[in-house]
Amino acid sequence: MSTLTELGTLDVLEAEAVHIIRECAAECERPVLLFSGGKDSIVLAHLATKAFTPAGLPFPLMHVDTGHNFPEVIEYRDWYVQEIDERLIVASVEESIAAGRVQDETGPRASRNRLQTTTLLDAIAEHQFDACFGGARRDEERARAKERVFSHRDMFGQWDPRNQRPEPWGIYNTKLRKGEHFRVFPLSNWTEVDIWAYIQREGLRLPSIYFAHEREVFTRDGMLMAAADFVERLPGEEVSTATVRFRTVGDATCTACTLSTAGTVEQVLAETRESDVSERGASRADDRTSEAAMEDRKRGGYF
Amino acid sequence: MPVESPMLHAVAVGSVDDGKSTLIGRLLYETGHLNADEIAHVEEASRKRGRKFLDLALLTDGLRAEREQGITIDVAYRSFDADGRRILLGDAPGHEQYTRNMVTAAAGADVAILLVDAMNGLTSQTRRHLAICAMLGVEDVIACVNKIDLVGYDEGRFTELAHELIAASQAVDGPRITAIPLSALEGINITQRSEKLPWYSGPTVLEVLHDLDRPIADEAFRMPVQWVTRYDEGGADVRALAGRITSGTVRVGDEVVALPGGSTSTVSAIDVLGEPRDMASAPLSVALHLATDIDVSRGDVIAPVDDPPQVAARVRATIAWLDEAPLTAPSRLEVRQSARLVPAIVEELHERLDLDAMRNEQADALEANDLGIATLLLAQPLAVQPYAVNREMGSMVLVDPGSNRTVGAVMVTEVLAG
Repeated sequence: MSTLTELGTLDVLEAEAVHIIRECAAECERPVLLFSGGKDSIVLAHLATKAFTPAGLPFPLMHVDTGHNFPEVIEYRDWYVQEIDERLIVASVEESIAAGRVQDETGPRASRNRLQTTTLLDAIAEHQFDACFGGARRDEERARAKERVFSHRDMFGQWDPRNQRPEPWGIYNTKLRKGEHFRVFPLSNWTEVDIWAYIQREGLRLPSIYFAHEREVFTRDGMLMAAADFVERLPGEEVSTATVRFRTVGDATCTACTLSTAGTVEQVLAETRESDVSERGASRADDRTSEAAMEDRKRGGYF
Repeated sequence: MPVESPMLHAVAVGSVDDGKSTLIGRLLYETGHLNADEIAHVEEASRKRGRKFLDLALLTDGLRAEREQGITIDVAYRSFDADGRRILLGDAPGHEQYTRNMVTAAAGADVAILLVDAMNGLTSQTRRHLAICAMLGVEDVIACVNKIDLVGYDEGRFTELAHELIAASQAVDGPRITAIPLSALEGINITQRSEKLPWYSGPTVLEVLHDLDRPIADEAFRMPVQWVTRYDEGGADVRALAGRITSGTVRVGDEVVALPGGSTSTVSAIDVLGEPRDMASAPLSVALHLATDIDVSRGDVIAPVDDPPQVAARVRATIAWLDEAPLTAPSRLEVRQSARLVPAIVEELHERLDLDAMRNEQADALEANDLGIATLLLAQPLAVQPYAVNREMGSMVLVDPGSNRTVGAVMVTEVLAG
């Protein structure tokens, strides 16, 4: 067998992602890139800038802000948008609550994770977006392994897993009716390790909470949660200080952290390669509600 | 020396109950791509269904309806590494909608993993799968003779089935067969050999995937233009042609033609996502700069002047029909080929392929999951080649302009005049 060295897996994944991004930009009238300040959306935004360099992005970024974010991530978001000199739209869950579109959950297990869907769909309608780039990967979750690259959403934002458009040879059918949109996933075939390896290769900066730091935490359902002001604790949930990092960045009410001393990308990459627990299993309380938790949320228009 | 692709597209096919999901679960498990929480999930799901063992099949059944009914609805994609080579595995369900799903999962695949039950032997579906592999240009098949434990690990039975598989593939001018005796349940010959098969000295499934020859960039250069990038550089308006190289290699100084228009120019610079290079090969995404300002837009194909694809508005093609509403001729549809969408008319339906009898028959319509041969007339000429010569130039999908559904997969067999 001849050499495998000249072209690596990351080169092929990068080329595929750029192809998808360019295809969507060319075919859709008003795309937007969903940017949370999480590592996957940072990689996605980086790939988008490379796809059109030296020209700028032909679409804006949008953050669905739950109001319950980690401050480090918001700080990073604002720095990044300035750094790449592109436009950011912020769709706010707090505004959806104030406008009476959704009702804030209450109690110790309250989360704005589900409320994001309404805010996202409202923003899509308001800006008439016909495609939203997302950083979802097929290795994340069972329902996502079944999703297409150009994933069709009807006028209600719903995903119909039984009626997806086949994508043979990576040929994408980009036709839409008015009011419908696509969720487009350029990172579909990437794994968590690929993401970290790419961050290392490209020298990307990340929000500080991805690296080991001291934080006040408490244990819930076997997971370490950040002791934020807006999270009500149950009896017996004692707060202590630990050295932790986050593997995913989402709403602070449902994103857990893990004990870690990894302070650099290299160390995180080494830990990820060794890890025995999946990213969502380690850090997403929202997936634990039922066997089909993600599928049900996706059907309703979630990310 | 040819450069081997660092990524392989594989597809797993088989009939219901032949252990495909278990094999995929095993592959992920034994290559370390299953985490403790995912295994815990499978354990819990196995218990809920009263299984006495770890039912790895439950891992790949992702959707609620699939778990409730114990079936697989749609194609799922999984990634794992075979000793440093990335395998992207499409899991195609083996149900009544098999052709539709198998075409979706196997189009563009380098290798198919085909399961055969050691007790039941080859079925009509096995032969159909081989015929579809042949049609889609899947060159290699790893034929897993599964449940070898249920036939007493018998060498004679394996050899018999291996010969039948090779003969069945030859009958359809099909792919190369590598037959492997296997037990998905016991984990034999997936990544590890077993003392229970002392007579078998061939490779495991993982070894075949790692060693499979799949040279890239050994065809003529082709690049469909996706996007024309424009920017200002020192007061000059610069244009670059952005796209993904679908085959071959391009070098600075190459004489190229933009088709179907036919304007020619010279490649003056190659930009690989911000980095200048002297040359670039498939499957990289690049931006090409040309020495002269010629008329090029999205959908045009850039190719060498001395080795271009044909330009035609009429083709003969194999169609895999994917939609519930049958295809009749004439039919007005749209054809999408790489970066171009053109109106098309299915002028004439010649034959339907009877994959069970392995012969063609006259047909007035193609039903869902049928394969047939038709003539397509395109509203504008396209750069096109037979699928067997160049996959990317010869593959298209059919879109119904009324419903916007993807209704067919097209493989060009002949480029026609007129």
